Amino acid sequence: MRPIFLVVLVATLLLAGTLANGDADHVGVVKSMAGKVVIARSGRTIIVEPNLKLFEGDVVQTGPNGKASLILEDDTVISMGLNSRLVIEAFVFHPDEKKLSLIVRVFQGTFSFLSGQIAKLAPERMHIKTPSVTVGVRGTHVLIQVD
Amino acid sequence: MRIVPHPVTIRGIHDTLEGSLYMGIVVRLTLLFLLITLASSCAKRTLVALVPDPDGRTGSISVLNEAGSVAIDAPYLATTIGDPKERPAAPVHLDKKVLDKIFAEALSIESKRPLHFQLYFVKKTRLAHDSEKLLPEIIAAIRERKSAYISVIGHTDTLGTEDWNMELSKNRALTVKDLLVKQGVDSNTIWTTYRGQEYPMIPSGDNVWEPRNRRVEVIVR
Repeated sequence: MRPIFLVVLVATLLLAGTLANGDADHVGVVKSMAGKVVIARSGRTIIVEPNLKLFEGDVVQTGPNGKASLILEDDTVISMGLNSRLVIEAFVFHPDEKKLSLIVRVFQGTFSFLSGQIAKLAPERMHIKTPSVTVGVRGTHVLIQVD
Repeated sequence: MRIVPHPVTIRGIHDTLEGSLYMGIVVRLTLLFLLITLASSCAKRTLVALVPDPDGRTGSISVLNEAGSVAIDAPYLATTIGDPKERPAAPVHLDKKVLDKIFAEALSIESKRPLHFQLYFVKKTRLAHDSEKLLPEIIAAIRERKSAYISVIGHTDTLGTEDWNMELSKNRALTVKDLLVKQGVDSNTIWTTYRGQEYPMIPSGDNVWEPRNRRVEVIVR
């Protein structure tokens, strides 16, 4: 029993370590902003300042006088108007291994998307999900409003 | 009421009063219901529009849900969708003015696309003359964008061992970082990474001298 327990423990620790490392890479940055902007990240609320790094799973919300422009690591530029909310559901950018994926879900507000390298290298891999449709973006400048 | 001589008339008036009160409530409830329906259908409405990018090019998009899909590949075409079970409407033309107004706030904050520069090396950490001449352009881009997030990524060709090249790519990245810092760029805004020979611009076999792979990429955001 004891050796098995040890193996399981070590395996769990190794796995946890791998996952923690895998999560460590940021996926973008808040390049410019105005007014109040917050991010919900793993149960915490962060008041956004310019140049804050973004991570997969971040929910970005602009206030009644808030707006923000985000630059992802593949050069995708996402801009948000007032009272707008989105989540970066998936961001995978490993062009050399051909692992590419970008999924952004928008809940409400106004958005402008300037596509980057993921849409260029893998046109089937960039999706913007809204409450009523999925937009497949092959390029390059897309405006989306959700009332 | 009992002493009123014309109860029928009064009764009639009473009925009418009651009726109009009742009707008022019905009308109000109906209006409320309509408002709620309208609001909840509005709550799901999505507008999707394709516009030219800052370089004047227009790409293409597909707008899809369980009821169907539409493709858009021309500028200033838009579709609206009210409900996920409703097929996206056939694209219609929307004036630039209309879209500029709806998206005024989002567009007013929109960042410029990042710029990528490739700096090449003659040997070891000595920059090629043409690449040296690129430095003022990089500094200008950093200033113009007020960039606080600059990537400097070192690479090598496949000449030499992997370990040697890893070290060399690191030194190349640090060389470029130093050059930027000497020009007044805040070192805290520069993220230096190095990849050795693993990510060539021009794929090659081992031990191949390839000038285009001896490089540092600078990304200004």
